Amino acid sequence: MNGLPRRLKTLPKPLLHCAGALALILGGLAQPASAQGEHYKVFLDLSYSGNVWQTAAANGVKALAGTPPYDKTVEFKTVISGTDVQHQISDLQSMIAAGANAILFYPVSGTGLNRVIEQGCKHNVLMFAYDSTVTAPCAYNVSSLSGRYGANSAQWMVNEMGGKGEMVINHGVAGTALTDLMDRQALGVFKRYPGIKIVGDFYGNWNDATSQENVAKVIAAHPNIDAIWTVDGTYGSLQAVQQHRPDRLVVIAGQSNNGYRLDIGDAALQAKGLKGLSASFGPADGPYAFKVMMEVLTGQLKLTAHNVEYPLPWVPYNEVKLCTGLAFENGCNVFPESKVPALFIDTALNGDLLPELNLTAVQNGTAMSGATIKPLPAVTYADDLPGVNCTDCKPPADWLEPNRVKPIPVPN
Amino acid sequence: MSLATRLRPARGAAIAVLIYLVMYLVYAISEASATSVFAITNLLDNTIVLAIAAAGLTLVVLTGEFDLSGIGVIAIANVVVATTSVGILGWFGALVAVVLIGAAVGLINGWLVVGLGLQSLAVTIGTMIACEGVALVILAAPGGEVSDTVANGLTGDIADVVPVAAVIIVGVLMLWFVFARTRLGIAIYAVGSDENAAGLSGLNVRRTKLLTFVLAGAAYGCAGYLLSAQTGSGDPRASNTFLLFMYAAVAIGGTSLAGGRGGVFGSVVGAGILTVMQKMLFALGAASFYTSVFSGIIMLVALFVGNLSVLRLRRRRRGGAEWQSATPRP
Amino acid sequence: MAKRDAPTLSESKPARLRAHAARANPELLPVAVVLACAALLIIATKILNPGSSLTQQLSAVLVTSIFLVVASFGQGLTILLGGIDLSIGVVAGLSAMMISVLTNGQNASLPWAVPATLAFCAAIGMINGLGIALAKVPPFIMTLASGITFFGVGLGFTSGLAQRPVAPALQALMSGHWLGVPIPIYLIAGFVVIAAIFQNGTAEGRQLYAIGSGPRAASVLGLPISGLTILAYALSGLCAGVSGLLLAGYSSAATLDIGDPLLLPTIAAVVIGGARVVGGKGIYLGTFAGAIFLSALETVITVLSLSQGLRNIIEGVIIVGALLLQSERWGALRRWSN
Repeated sequence: MNGLPRRLKTLPKPLLHCAGALALILGGLAQPASAQGEHYKVFLDLSYSGNVWQTAAANGVKALAGTPPYDKTVEFKTVISGTDVQHQISDLQSMIAAGANAILFYPVSGTGLNRVIEQGCKHNVLMFAYDSTVTAPCAYNVSSLSGRYGANSAQWMVNEMGGKGEMVINHGVAGTALTDLMDRQALGVFKRYPGIKIVGDFYGNWNDATSQENVAKVIAAHPNIDAIWTVDGTYGSLQAVQQHRPDRLVVIAGQSNNGYRLDIGDAALQAKGLKGLSASFGPADGPYAFKVMMEVLTGQLKLTAHNVEYPLPWVPYNEVKLCTGLAFENGCNVFPESKVPALFIDTALNGDLLPELNLTAVQNGTAMSGATIKPLPAVTYADDLPGVNCTDCKPPADWLEPNRVKPIPVPN
Repeated sequence: MSLATRLRPARGAAIAVLIYLVMYLVYAISEASATSVFAITNLLDNTIVLAIAAAGLTLVVLTGEFDLSGIGVIAIANVVVATTSVGILGWFGALVAVVLIGAAVGLINGWLVVGLGLQSLAVTIGTMIACEGVALVILAAPGGEVSDTVANGLTGDIADVVPVAAVIIVGVLMLWFVFARTRLGIAIYAVGSDENAAGLSGLNVRRTKLLTFVLAGAAYGCAGYLLSAQTGSGDPRASNTFLLFMYAAVAIGGTSLAGGRGGVFGSVVGAGILTVMQKMLFALGAASFYTSVFSGIIMLVALFVGNLSVLRLRRRRRGGAEWQSATPRP
Repeated sequence: MAKRDAPTLSESKPARLRAHAARANPELLPVAVVLACAALLIIATKILNPGSSLTQQLSAVLVTSIFLVVASFGQGLTILLGGIDLSIGVVAGLSAMMISVLTNGQNASLPWAVPATLAFCAAIGMINGLGIALAKVPPFIMTLASGITFFGVGLGFTSGLAQRPVAPALQALMSGHWLGVPIPIYLIAGFVVIAAIFQNGTAEGRQLYAIGSGPRAASVLGLPISGLTILAYALSGLCAGVSGLLLAGYSSAATLDIGDPLLLPTIAAVVIGGARVVGGKGIYLGTFAGAIFLSALETVITVLSLSQGLRNIIEGVIIVGALLLQSERWGALRRWSN
């Protein structure tokens, strides 16, 4: 000890402890022996985290990764990159360097990740984006964006309103391709009917509490609003109306929170004027993307295009059906109040495409007992939307128009 | 304190370099390809935006002021490059534009703080929010196109061996070395150490502070330009996480938030630490949600270690009871 | 040092009261101005929409401002000391999550769930205070790092858990009425009284001012700086916790990011209300006025249907404008009072 140079003697203790701890950690870093036969290294990379939607999607994917046969053949890891694009770039690069075979990710930017995605493709990594899309040509997008939620939900609302009334717009997070596209579609439809007046709009940022506060303020300023259009934050928006104007409810479109679906299916509330549509983007597109990705990885499926469509959920108030069990069967689409919390998003489940997922799976991330992965039916390909899921491409001529709902004529 | 002593990389910066090396070592051991040119280029590309932004911020912090507007300027710079670098302005014109825009915002900040006497923390929150708005007005959703000269040029390698980012960082450090010895550089330290004394001894405190805001703004503009190269596109949203990391880089690098102590060298290393820390945590296999926990703890440990050595240094120098507690600064 | 020294005990009581009033008055001016601006905004909304009711609007602005009113008090205390608390959003979110997990839709566990949640939040604040007071970590970094860390902890605990409903009593508190007035308005009134008394009426409050405006002098005077620092940050954590509880009751469900929109507005409210961010100045009523003003501003902006970009620009300009008004007022007052 005496022979050490003075500087080393005064090295801060914490650093020495750090080095010691690191040595211990490094000791435990031995790689697990790879399984015999097929072995795939798959990563799930989240950007946003900590809200109901993201948690449900991530749990669904985790549950599937733990379902036979994937529990034996897939080495699965979840990474949370956070909302800074450079962090996600760095993490994706780490995953590629760690030898990933496939990466399923929720992109924080539709264009900013393109360079790292190209790097991944060059290293033969399958790059799959879910729900939110990227414009990189070699990436695969699995999303309901091409289902035209904005146009269809807006047209449905106009039909229910008879083409006139006071409307409030609840925008999502500003500056995202999703919000931009949905807003353009919805506002395009509303503008065609001069009887529809937009008396207020705010940015609910897909947050129920923020939406509730803002609707409370709007309703105080405009006591006669007839309708609220949302992409998310729907439950909060409706709660504000129920608190301040319980005897006269609204026409509303938005997410698929269980509490919201129960409300719109409630006959007593319908009698007070509640006409609701539950159709927004569902977390199940994450697990669905996982299944598609794995089928491509294992060679079971060959995709001829890069944009896969996950069917847009669509449950208007007259089609709400209560479930008796723990899964969506027999066409039921909402759980009783006692089974799940009000904010639980029903579209985390999909009885047809994801029979391997039940309530416990999406709430805890554990595989459904006794389930095995079932092959998927044929995939539907999504429309090309330049700037959204592709770069040098042409959209269909009517990409801003509703294609599920027939427009009513403009009233005089 | 003699000039030479003050301008040597502070003890805090030395500790920062040590921390960086330890983290890089852990990362390199666990990740086989970490020492390849490709991986090093990627790492430096990831570091450089934070490094330049933190470097600019350091100048303001050295005078004892705050500047939260960095991410707003970066957002504006990013969308400007994405909308003009291919068309009207070209890669060089876009660079000039973002530097001027950044300097202009810095000028506004500086004038409000120095000329009108407003508190810098509050003022720069205001300008940050306003800048975010301007970015959204210029580009409503992610998109635009960054010219290939910028995107490939700045993220690539010279002769396939030397990352361009490394050249830029070395350039910045050399610039700082020269700048710290100019009259303005010395004035910045003097103002930060003791504003009253600096003023009484004839330094133009107001002009010094104003210039730091302008230079910081120009640096943010450059950082935004580099971000455009990294992402190849424009995104109008400002990242709050990035703002917090800017400050963490400055603090971990040994610059005191109270002013008068530290330097750009430390902040650049601090930026490196935060970037390699993410790589290290991934390589160590930290469970997804625990990366946040570790990030926070590591930041505090790094700061604590840095502070510890500085406190010991002070106590040794004073040789007596340390009754002069540091001015509480946010 | 302040021009008006604290009156000594040997002076007569009337002299002390006069000195006290003289000190308080300049601080009330920003309060009055900001409240007047808020009132103008509310009236403007009424003018833009003749069909709306002024009392309804006032009620909506007040009720939705409660989260900000409570959380800004804690933020104001730390700013008074010359610090800042950047963990408020995360703590509010954790508090909301905790109360919903602990109560799980029943009222039965409320008596112990509420104190437990608030104790947890205050503990986070105390950790912040300890780091700042004892380890001399700059408050900006300490609270930022602890926010990031505890967010990760919260994420770890809740990633497997489903959202649980909040106790009905809490929901009833936020949505109920008494004598025709929404209960949250009574809560605001009560809170404002308590907070104002603490910040400007108690010895601890005055000591916080002393530390903020002259830390070296305070240290020489022997004030328990560390203890008060820890107290201030603990209170900030506590207030963020209370905001989280109220948010959970208001939206009847909790998510981890429920408190995120709170952080910047708390700083803005404190600043707009006349507090100096370097510390040592500003009364709670000013912060309260700032919170009300921000809530009213949001209403007007919503009604004007502006794009997010324009909203941000307006918000930024208003913050800077508020600061400009403060500074000129101080200058003018100093001239008058001489």
